Amino acid sequence: MSNSHSDTIPLRPSNSQSDIDEIRSLIDDSVHSGPAVVLPARHPATTPPPSSSPFISSNIPPPPPVSSSSSLQKLQSVPAAPPPPPPVGNSSSIVANGFGPPPNTLTEPVLDTVKRDLWRIVSNLKLVVFPNPFREDPGKALRDWDLWGPFFFIVFLGVALSWSASVKKSQVFAVAFALLAAGAVILTLNVLLLGGHIIFFQSLSLLGYCLFPLDVGALICMLKDNVVAKVIIVCLALAWSSWAAYPFMSSAVNPNRKALALYPVLLMYLSVGFLIIAID
Amino acid sequence: MDLSQPVEENYANPKTCFFHVLFKASALAFYMLSTLFADSFVIIFVITVVLAALDFWVVKNVSGRILVGLRWWNEINEQGESIWRFECLDHESLARINQKDSWLFWWTLYLNAVAWTIFGIFSLVRLEVDYLLVVGVCLSLAIANIIGFTKCRKDAKNKIQAFASRTIASRFSSTLQSAFSLV
Repeated sequence: MSNSHSDTIPLRPSNSQSDIDEIRSLIDDSVHSGPAVVLPARHPATTPPPSSSPFISSNIPPPPPVSSSSSLQKLQSVPAAPPPPPPVGNSSSIVANGFGPPPNTLTEPVLDTVKRDLWRIVSNLKLVVFPNPFREDPGKALRDWDLWGPFFFIVFLGVALSWSASVKKSQVFAVAFALLAAGAVILTLNVLLLGGHIIFFQSLSLLGYCLFPLDVGALICMLKDNVVAKVIIVCLALAWSSWAAYPFMSSAVNPNRKALALYPVLLMYLSVGFLIIAID
Repeated sequence: MDLSQPVEENYANPKTCFFHVLFKASALAFYMLSTLFADSFVIIFVITVVLAALDFWVVKNVSGRILVGLRWWNEINEQGESIWRFECLDHESLARINQKDSWLFWWTLYLNAVAWTIFGIFSLVRLEVDYLLVVGVCLSLAIANIIGFTKCRKDAKNKIQAFASRTIASRFSSTLQSAFSLV
């Protein structure tokens, strides 16, 4: 068994345990004796660790929980409410390399997922709506789109409008929700049909996030009843929304067609603004 | 070998199963019994859609991971293209998934979609456009999850097959190598 192992290894029927023993004895011998050990041809590169897992004897590294990518442009999927795409930031870059650490997103605790999604909403909001001099190319921002934020904003706007209405509350809500949801879809289709380069869900997400200023405006209008004040507040909110949406929309299309892409967006926000003013 | 008493598996993750079913069932129940609870459409809409969205999130992020070991999401890469990514547990862990868990997972997913479709047909027949909106949103959430997880499962199967064939091929070649090296 432990004679000179330096040149030939006797032929044996192989099973994993015998392989492991062989390796172990080889290692022991090499530690004791010193001359280069000729490992059998079966185990070229990776020497399996001397543990007793039954799956060692293959040369393939343990199967990483790798994502394969299948690209689909349009998937029959979520309209007004969100698939929160979870691993973002560091883990997406790990996954993108193909062989990363074990499934940290598959086995993470639930609280981590919640925190990560909430953080994504906040960061998207900051990116889209607030002035940010360090913002990278607008076409590339909002790359980790999510629809939770837009969902919440649309519902909030509908509820605020419906609350301010003294009659036909449910109709107001339904109209506001349907208008915003359908409007976002149609505006996205508009950009796509104009030959623009934007991802469907990214655009939905963007249009939803740009509703945030109008949400704030609607909230304030809910509290104050003066018509003139409402007009001023709504105009400010409208300007803010349009300012937020402008860079994304305009960078997505051909410069000749910028106005064609932007005008419907402005129109939609204008109509929402009128809805806010007119509700009493 | 005593096969007269097959081993009865219990649910391996009863809490997760419970939550998986809870939000779906409460969304459906609330929608059905809505007239008893509230006469305002807005409240019905908001609560039903919020429950459906919560259910979507729970299925996608929690019960999909824990009950069947699958996860899917969408990313946009550097070139601005959208990529759908699928993640699954490795082969040994997948083989150890509790059968009851996964049965419950898939069946409640399908039944949920069927139930919302039936509600949709009812409200279509009664020409209640408002309620059609609610049903539409809930149905699309359910379908999104079904499509995502089905694709993920297919992807996982492909990966396992690829891995298995790679293992067999490498074993085969290593056996050949060793056979030839000793000739």
